[in-house]
Amino acid sequence: MRKLVNLALGIITSIGGFVEVGSISTAAQAGSEFGFSLLWAIAAATLFLAALAEMAGRIAAVSKRSMAGAVRERFGFHFQIVPLGAELVIDILLLTAELGGAAIAVKMLTGIGFQWWIAPIGLLVWLVLWLGNFSIIEDGVGLLGMVTLSFVVAVWRLHPDVGPLARGFIPTIPHHDLTRYGFLSVSIVGATVSPYLLNFYGSGAIEEKWSEQDLWVNRLTAFLGMGFGSIVAMGCLVTAAIVLGPQHVQVNSYEQAARMFVPIFGRWAVTLFALSLGIGCFGAAVEITLNAGYVLGQAFGWTWGVEKRRRDVARFVTAFSIVLLLGVCIAAIGFDPLKVTLVSVALTVVIMPIIVLPFLVLMNDTEYVGEHTSGPIGNGLLAALTILGALMAIVVIPLELLGG
Amino acid sequence: MRVVRDVLDKAVVDRNGHEMGRADGILLALDDGRAPRLDAILIGPAALGDRLHPAIGRFVRALERRLGLDSGRPVRVRFSDIERVEHKVRVRLAAGETAVEAVEQRLRGWIVKLPGSR
Repeated sequence: MRKLVNLALGIITSIGGFVEVGSISTAAQAGSEFGFSLLWAIAAATLFLAALAEMAGRIAAVSKRSMAGAVRERFGFHFQIVPLGAELVIDILLLTAELGGAAIAVKMLTGIGFQWWIAPIGLLVWLVLWLGNFSIIEDGVGLLGMVTLSFVVAVWRLHPDVGPLARGFIPTIPHHDLTRYGFLSVSIVGATVSPYLLNFYGSGAIEEKWSEQDLWVNRLTAFLGMGFGSIVAMGCLVTAAIVLGPQHVQVNSYEQAARMFVPIFGRWAVTLFALSLGIGCFGAAVEITLNAGYVLGQAFGWTWGVEKRRRDVARFVTAFSIVLLLGVCIAAIGFDPLKVTLVSVALTVVIMPIIVLPFLVLMNDTEYVGEHTSGPIGNGLLAALTILGALMAIVVIPLELLGG
Repeated sequence: MRVVRDVLDKAVVDRNGHEMGRADGILLALDDGRAPRLDAILIGPAALGDRLHPAIGRFVRALERRLGLDSGRPVRVRFSDIERVEHKVRVRLAAGETAVEAVEQRLRGWIVKLPGSR
């Protein structure tokens, strides 16, 4: 029974924690510019994310190793420094964007400039990490994140035609702006399959002391939780397509994106959008900061974890505090959070192979997963998709930047 | 035992199961006319720095010296002190007998002053 409750909670928190600055901005842009036709990208990226998260959970449950720890042991420090460095850079960029997104949400609610809110939000993130244990952090973020279901409610009230909606799940070549379409599909993958999510998920499995008996919980949490979670991102895309598409609004700011709620929620539109954006971004900022502590602690062999007394994990606490401080300082300079988001999600896809390919090796090594190795079809598909995505990113991103 | 595969980069735990860090380096002893001999596991960022580039190792050592954290670091754990090698390397020492926790203790000294650290 307790396991079922944990499973339900895991799925709910996955739904509540799914959308954040990257998924909201890429889905809003995709919907407003290309209608429903990029829904397939969210579906494919979610499947990809769920498959990777399940693997990270499986390694954690079977071998009690985190991904960062396993990569160092299996491939050595010379290899690990590359994905570790890349992940930290992307973590800090994304953290900057999340803090900015949360601050813009507060600005929408209060009218006071977003830069004033960066430091208080950063402090709040730190307090949650300083005072909370893993379940408070994960469940609290996830439960508050249920407000993001506003995107699903919006779609329900807009009554979209099922036919065109279903056609959006089939990849098609658009009649206009092929480069932009490619760029947005790559960005959706980058926003969905964030490296921090994978390591965070595996580390959570260790914090919660999963064992081989929890492999089915792992599989269901990964696929159902993220599957349902992606419905929220899809809701954002569909709402943007129906409301902003006909107005030819190209989403260049979060204030513009908020307009998608106006026909549905009237005077509550800005409040609901701001709460969805703010809570989504705040939750992600907490998880990214914590993940930075996790990867550093695991890679260098420090004692780590939010289940332990903070005085017993001093290096871990110091590491995540420094990363958070860096994120706050960069965000406070005043970079446009939307631009930072798009840069970080594009970079994510470029570095994806060096994050994902070690997974594939580890998932076939009995020392790490015992008898629970992956099958050849799953392996091949994942490797091919990763490399294809990265190649696409390398081609499309410069084209988009040159075009822009 | 294949030392790079089985020991290098693995987590090291002391006799009480307490984490000591990772095997950041391996020290070989070279005696005249004899084959190199496994001497010790090195634990500490300076050993890790040496592996990336000697200049990085020198920088980390200088930094540790400046912060007064260099005494007994990087920590050497003799191969004769290894109890067994599984997915972690278990050694017969206690972490407290070595300087592996020097940085942790320095930071702990500050962290315990904050409310909620216990």
